Amino acid sequence: MASGVAAGSGFLYARNGALLAAALAYPFLFRQSFPQDLAIKIFLFGGLASAWNVLGGFAGQVSLGNAIFFGVGAYAAAVVQTQWGWTPWAGMLLGMAASAGIGALIGYPCFRLKGHYFAMATLAIGEVISTLFMNWQWVGGAVGVYIPLRDDTWKYFQFGTTKLPYYYVMLAFLVSALLLSAALLRSRMGYYFRAIREDQDAARSLGVPARRYKLAAMGISAALTSAGGSLYAQYVLFIDPHSVFPMMLSIQVVLIAILGGVGTLWGPVVGAMVLIPLSEFTRIYIGGTGSGLDLIAYGLLIIVISVIQPRGVLGFFRKAGAA
Amino acid sequence: MKRRFANVSGMAMAVALTALLAMPAAAVDKVRIGAIYPLTGPAGSTGAELKDAITLAADIVNGKYDLDLPLARTQGLPNLKGAQVEVIFGDHQGKPDVGQAEAERMITTEKVVALMGAYHSSVTTTASIAAERHKVPFLNPESTDPKLTERGFRYFFRTTPFDDQFAENFFQFLNDVKKQKGAKISSVATVYENTNFGTGVNNAIRKNAAKYGYRLVADVAYAEKGTSAIAEVQKVKAAAPDVVMPASYTADAILYMKTFKDLNYAPQAILAMDAGYISDEFKKTLGKDGEYVLSREVWALDLAKKKPMIAKVNEIYKKRFGRDMNGNSARSFTGFLVLADAINRAGSTDPEKIREALEKYTLGGNMMIMPWDGVAFDPKTHQNTKGRGIIVQLVSGEWYTVWPFDLASRDVVWPMPAWGKR
Amino acid sequence: MFSTELAQTLLSGVLMGLIFSLVAVGLTLIWGIMDIVNFAHGDFLMSGMYISYWMYALWGIDPLLSLPVSGAFLFFLGMVAYRLVIRRILGAPMLIQIFATFGIMILMRYLAFYFFKPNYRSIQQTLLSGNIDLHGVYLSIPQLAAAAGAFLTTGAVYVLIHKTRVGGALQATAEDREAAALMGINTDRMFTLAWGIGAATAGIAGSLLSTFFYIFPEVGGIFGLIAFVAVTLGGFGNVAGAFVAGILIGVVEAMAGYLYDPALKTVFVYVLFLGVLFFRPQGLLGVE
Repeated sequence: MASGVAAGSGFLYARNGALLAAALAYPFLFRQSFPQDLAIKIFLFGGLASAWNVLGGFAGQVSLGNAIFFGVGAYAAAVVQTQWGWTPWAGMLLGMAASAGIGALIGYPCFRLKGHYFAMATLAIGEVISTLFMNWQWVGGAVGVYIPLRDDTWKYFQFGTTKLPYYYVMLAFLVSALLLSAALLRSRMGYYFRAIREDQDAARSLGVPARRYKLAAMGISAALTSAGGSLYAQYVLFIDPHSVFPMMLSIQVVLIAILGGVGTLWGPVVGAMVLIPLSEFTRIYIGGTGSGLDLIAYGLLIIVISVIQPRGVLGFFRKAGAA
Repeated sequence: MKRRFANVSGMAMAVALTALLAMPAAAVDKVRIGAIYPLTGPAGSTGAELKDAITLAADIVNGKYDLDLPLARTQGLPNLKGAQVEVIFGDHQGKPDVGQAEAERMITTEKVVALMGAYHSSVTTTASIAAERHKVPFLNPESTDPKLTERGFRYFFRTTPFDDQFAENFFQFLNDVKKQKGAKISSVATVYENTNFGTGVNNAIRKNAAKYGYRLVADVAYAEKGTSAIAEVQKVKAAAPDVVMPASYTADAILYMKTFKDLNYAPQAILAMDAGYISDEFKKTLGKDGEYVLSREVWALDLAKKKPMIAKVNEIYKKRFGRDMNGNSARSFTGFLVLADAINRAGSTDPEKIREALEKYTLGGNMMIMPWDGVAFDPKTHQNTKGRGIIVQLVSGEWYTVWPFDLASRDVVWPMPAWGKR
Repeated sequence: MFSTELAQTLLSGVLMGLIFSLVAVGLTLIWGIMDIVNFAHGDFLMSGMYISYWMYALWGIDPLLSLPVSGAFLFFLGMVAYRLVIRRILGAPMLIQIFATFGIMILMRYLAFYFFKPNYRSIQQTLLSGNIDLHGVYLSIPQLAAAAGAFLTTGAVYVLIHKTRVGGALQATAEDREAAALMGINTDRMFTLAWGIGAATAGIAGSLLSTFFYIFPEVGGIFGLIAFVAVTLGGFGNVAGAFVAGILIGVVEAMAGYLYDPALKTVFVYVLFLGVLFFRPQGLLGVE
């Protein structure tokens, strides 16, 4: 670790630059739709897990309700088009603002709760909001929202036959989430987040306004997640409460972060790079049996990770590097 | 892996043969059709049945069968120099985004000339968006959400009748029962699961109840897979409708029937919108308690009495896959034949030509295993206008066709007997 | 007419609520004693349902007779889960604890899926069947029996915790792990026991439920969430509280559905949950 830092930021710049160049070149090396779709999903889930990581990893507030913000973002992008004819980009900004606001509303009472109770409360609120959307006729209720098809356009962010625009926008989403996380880690705010995570009472006694910083973490996490939801809606063009508010989504983003390494910058990305291809390949190659074998493996993986290496995949490397 | 290997070796052999016979290049090429279904996930067993039905339909097109079906008596597609059709299957797990990704993969990587699928209405929605964007025809044989054909897509076609037509069938049936049995029926109630399917059904019933002069005295929406149905059934009971029309998936269908019995509630009839009520598990699980339920269906084995070809096709299917066909597999089977037939009529693998052929397509009711008047697509919506549903009743552990009366194999039991008198 | 339907809804809600109580009791025990949220609790229930189903389907044994078997098997399974997984994460962060039990949940659920297929099953003929007619209010006999069984089992757990030596040791462990260890209580054994009893009550609830509810691999999810709510309402670790809360949830769900909108009945339950969490975090019956 120490030697890695001492090797200087030059090495880090070179490494990150190489990674970015590889990501930019990827769609020209893999021109088919499957590998491009796979990469788009990795970027999306990597970004969502990073967003969760700000709240759950940096600030230590385990939210099991991040699907709320994903859903709000998806609905915002879709509904501004169907109801008012706006561009989804405006919907995306609106969704981010709304999500940050909802996050604050949820956070205000919930941040009094600690540990399990906070997690359970966010889980329950997620279920309530999903049910409310199911019964809210103005946004299509249970039927969901169909985004009308258009010709290729940046204004409405639709591209019929090429995935490249989606690819680069999703990549930009992930990169922004990472840059924001990196900036947070280095900032005073990030330092306060960690202080709250390690010992809230101690942090408070040192003068850290714990609730305000927890609300800030919630707001950032919510807005980022919401942006991911908006992009997802544009990618799929049809959303309903089942597909954008599922409890499984809330849990999946946490799992990705845990798998890679909670509270680290790259953990969520590593987790997404392991988990998303795993589920896609089992679908295509073990798929066709309908047996549930892939999910049995998934369950075992979770148990093994939590028992053997709670610090995630990055934990293994750190260990090897230290030895 | 294996599949890809087979494709490659198949292509290699075709190339070798071509060279050997010194025929002009591109003469014998397989026509590839993509089929996207839930091969894994909660609906995995249904997906497997549909896959079998489509596999059989492809064999009928490629081989020679003495059946009154399109392309049965010829080998391959005659207008394409006898080209064979090949089906590429994709798995969508019941997830809309996966279905869309599969559709794109089929079009861009597998180079299919047309697509079909996808059973779930939600997945059909997203997968057909991909087809529309890539300008490839998409034929949907099984999804009944009215919204699908209201989108005005150019490349989307639907062979199955949909919820509006089924709801209309309900009230035509009630009118017929009034005439035949002298029953007094004036009010109906719905109890439906509040997702896409149930909500759509409820809207269709509301619309048609008004049109046919019946009162809708209660419409009770519920969230699926609840722990109890007491409150919902109480609401229906309080409204005292003559006929209850439920729309539920399997788990809830079982729960509601049990609750009807527990609360000793028996309206004149329970007329269900397919789905859970028609599932094998409903019949097996409830045994006697499920009897006398009526449901709309799209197909039934006892139609063979009026349409002997149904028995012949079912026999081939059963011999090969070890189970009978059902309403889902019969629709996928028919959908595939229509699509292959349209490609043949287009005489081309150009998606635009296939689309035009589908728009002009007509098929007589005698050339299919469905109880329809035939196939012809509405020029605007591309909905098959000649489809219709049937109504079946569960009696002594078997479903019998009871309506339309001219296709019925049994007289309808009306009203259903009280719970104490069974 | 109005009052008959109201009475029916109320009584049916109470009957269902008693089952919720029993499911919640096991969860509150584990939660209260070792401060671990067991996400797999609903799937212990599912296992109990399948045990009763298969004993019925293969050998024609009535669920009321296979009940001890599923109780015993789940007792064993609970101990195994503790020994193999939970014991190793006692000191881990809360997040990891949540995910370990979540992994157990997925593993159990999809093992059932793999072996038993996603089909819905149910037991058709039980020793007890039919219903009782109380002036137009109908009570199904299997459901009455299940409610009675749930009541008795919950009572037994209460007696075990509050009136026996072992129960005293369990309570001491819940109060203060280290102090209990100093007093010569083998806390590891107490934890094992808590997991055994917790899982066994879920198994018994499963057998009782199997007489009138459908069975499928994901059935645990339906009851698991309600059990969480009941535990919070009743106060963590409070057996009597979980009992009252279970009944309360059964009634609220039924009445909200009947008087208001069935599609929103779970919202009422969750709002009740959140309200208690925010304003009375010690639970309805809790003292602090």
